[in-house]
Amino acid sequence: MTIFLLMWPLLAFGLELPLLSASDLPGDDGKAVLLLWPRMPYEASEVFYVVQGAEGPEGPFEEIARFPSNSHYRTERRAPFWTWRKGKDEHFFVVRTIGGRPLESGREYYFRLGVDLGEGPSFGPAVSAIPKPNWFDFKKLNNLIFMVLLAGVVLWFIGRARKKELFLRRIPGLDAIEEAIGRATEMGRPIYYLTGRLGMSSVSTIAATIILRDIAKRTAGYDAQLKVPHTDPVVMAVCREVVKGAYLEAGRPDAYNEEINFYVTDDQFSYTMAVDGMMVRERPAAVFLMGYYYAESLLLAEVGASVGAIQIAGTDAEHQLPFFVTACDYTLIGEELYAASAYLSKEPALIGTLRAQDVGKAFLTAFLVLGAIASTIGVWAGIEHKIDYFLDILRDFS
Amino acid sequence: MRKLAEKILSMDRRAIYLLMASAALLPFLTGPLGLPSRVSPEVKAVYDRIESLPEGSPFLISMDFDPASKPELYPMAEALVRHAFRKNLRVIGMNLWVTGSGMAEKILSDVAEEYGKKYGRDYVYLGWAPGATNVILGLGQDIYKTYPRDYYGNETSGMPVLEGVRTLKDIPFMVDLAAGDPGIETWVVYGKAKSMAGGCTAVIAPGMYAFLNSGQLVGLIGGMRGAAEYEALLKEMGKATVGMDIQSTTHVLILGLILLSNFAFFATRRRR
Amino acid sequence: MFLRQYVPMAIAFVMGVVFAVQYYVPHPASEELLTTVNDWLIVVSGFSMVLGLASLMGSHWAKVRRGGPGWGYSLVVFLGILGTLAVGIASKGKMFAGEELTLTALGWVYDNMLVPLQGTVFSLLAFFMASATFRTFRARNLEAGLLLTAAFLVMLGHVPLGEYIWDKVLGFLPPKADQVMGWIMNVPNMAAKRGILLGVGLGMIATSLKIIFGIERAYMGEGG
Repeated sequence: MTIFLLMWPLLAFGLELPLLSASDLPGDDGKAVLLLWPRMPYEASEVFYVVQGAEGPEGPFEEIARFPSNSHYRTERRAPFWTWRKGKDEHFFVVRTIGGRPLESGREYYFRLGVDLGEGPSFGPAVSAIPKPNWFDFKKLNNLIFMVLLAGVVLWFIGRARKKELFLRRIPGLDAIEEAIGRATEMGRPIYYLTGRLGMSSVSTIAATIILRDIAKRTAGYDAQLKVPHTDPVVMAVCREVVKGAYLEAGRPDAYNEEINFYVTDDQFSYTMAVDGMMVRERPAAVFLMGYYYAESLLLAEVGASVGAIQIAGTDAEHQLPFFVTACDYTLIGEELYAASAYLSKEPALIGTLRAQDVGKAFLTAFLVLGAIASTIGVWAGIEHKIDYFLDILRDFS
Repeated sequence: MRKLAEKILSMDRRAIYLLMASAALLPFLTGPLGLPSRVSPEVKAVYDRIESLPEGSPFLISMDFDPASKPELYPMAEALVRHAFRKNLRVIGMNLWVTGSGMAEKILSDVAEEYGKKYGRDYVYLGWAPGATNVILGLGQDIYKTYPRDYYGNETSGMPVLEGVRTLKDIPFMVDLAAGDPGIETWVVYGKAKSMAGGCTAVIAPGMYAFLNSGQLVGLIGGMRGAAEYEALLKEMGKATVGMDIQSTTHVLILGLILLSNFAFFATRRRR
Repeated sequence: MFLRQYVPMAIAFVMGVVFAVQYYVPHPASEELLTTVNDWLIVVSGFSMVLGLASLMGSHWAKVRRGGPGWGYSLVVFLGILGTLAVGIASKGKMFAGEELTLTALGWVYDNMLVPLQGTVFSLLAFFMASATFRTFRARNLEAGLLLTAAFLVMLGHVPLGEYIWDKVLGFLPPKADQVMGWIMNVPNMAAKRGILLGVGLGMIATSLKIIFGIERAYMGEGG
């Protein structure tokens, strides 16, 4: 009754239907269409918009969505300001399926919009659109710019590092490598080096193989025994090359043995038990745990501690850091693992990238603080929609 | 006093192991402690989300764990599947860890039998497929291409339980139970499900709070405690609730050991 | 030199740039490329298992042949591998068979060997955790004291018995044990984790850029 009283002028004098427009949704894989129509004066929660779609101009039209007319404004879509104008003057709807069937790229589809005052929807004329795949997602433009900027900063600092010596703070875990290898040589006991659970596609495993090269060079020089049990055959193959290269560089090709790197198993706990057993029997003097670890971290580190080995761990698995910090003598936390190659080799190019990382971190911290202040001001002053222009630059829209 | 403190500090680790074993066995001798777990907001959020789903809605549960994580994640999976069957949802089970296939199948079939649910109509177990990232990406494009057959070799297209479900976007809510990688992060990055919650082992739960706070996860069930909280919401005493008694005694033992070692540490330090 | 150094660097550069750009391209061809290359990775991993198996069999066979200490355990390795392979082939890779879904031989091995063994090993963590905390959770300085206090509060709030003890001893305080634990997990813990993750993220980007641009070549071994 209330709806009738409110709407009777429209019913009596004819309902003006909004003008619908349909177009390909930009920055997608070509399986969506964007519908837009203006805000109408009669919109209320009791009045509904009904969206229908069809594969041909004559139909049959199937209902895609029905929602209150005071919703689906432009403001409600999560997209950055450089790709989408926000406001409450227009409605939007993104169509991905008709009748449960996903839209196909390159095919023409027809849509119509209806207004339902409670007596059944009245539909306007049908409009058509062809969804097309796009080659660039402009929503990620901010991400691309930041990546290019960071790459630029990295390259600039590499150039600068070649001309001027850059300061690098001490990383105790890496300084202790020499001490650990020396200890193993004196005691005549082996050195164990573990590269973590993940494969070569993981950056932490790559970092671990880089550190292995340095350690292999030193063990070759000291004539100490090195053992590298593996859980991934690809990593084993790479590490064989790395260790062979290190021994050659150290001038000790005679000391190299292919069995320094050997495969155990890829099963998490079988590997752990095998390595623990080896540690208990052979009592290594030094154990290096570099890479990404899961639950086996404490099992390995605690057994290493129980046999009296000096242990240096390095991981970016933040959930295992507490266990390594507890059970190991030295722990490289997070990016200290990635910094190892620069730290050990002292190569200007590598040190330059560390400085670039620091600059990146400084910018991130600044943006964090600015973003927090901006959000707070936005809420206090009621100007969140204006602050959004700044915050959009920092947001991820993937 | 100093001698006692030094003896304590140099306690053989085997004595600690023995104490730990005793603490774990204690609840079996004394009977249930009967202490309830307070329900946390993140677990309640998962429960509420399932409660809000209309009857007959598809619900995806990915059981990405192996037998090592069974004590924490098996009761969690059972509780979630029970809840889903109680709400008469259409349950779609799968897993990304090959060693978890047997357990995942057992959970679905055992709980389905309890609730009189029919395979193919009320639930389906898709099984494991190689290439975790590819599987998730594939589910985002076409479930039937990624899983043309289910775990038992039946054709998936035409199954009543999968009616109206073509991609992940057709599933209103999913839960990933993970013990590591591939797991919750993989689903968040590649899956982009409509609405998703996570369940994980207690050790990786702290890392998942970032996804919870950002809204990428609707809720989070962390470890055996989370599973016990969920069982409390379902008003059932399952394996997790029983397991919490053992966790209680062992946690309190560790706290006691920490206090003892610090007392001994300060006792020896003061004299120096 | 060309094959060992420049070809791998070129491949690393091209693939690195292509997949960095792939993230920004929503076209179906881009996703097709990603899934295809992921498929290649799976195939390569499959073949590399042969490499791993050869290494494993080789080292254990050498032990058996030499009659070195523990050679009997190496025989067990062979028995395990061949036995599970035979059982798996005989069961056609299925854990359940028939309309009644009865347990196959492979299913029996899974249920009665793999599951209890993995559970047993995982449970060792409890014992190792106890001995590690007894040995190292000592308030040697301020930072260690803070760590100890936080760990104490989190453990107390994590279990029902801990909550009961808190209620009895500190029940007069407004927050409950689980609320204190929740605050520690959601605020300082999350802040620290986010900080570490930010650093790790930047480190990953820098390491990846070093590898793509050929600045970091240590992973190439002899060619690097």
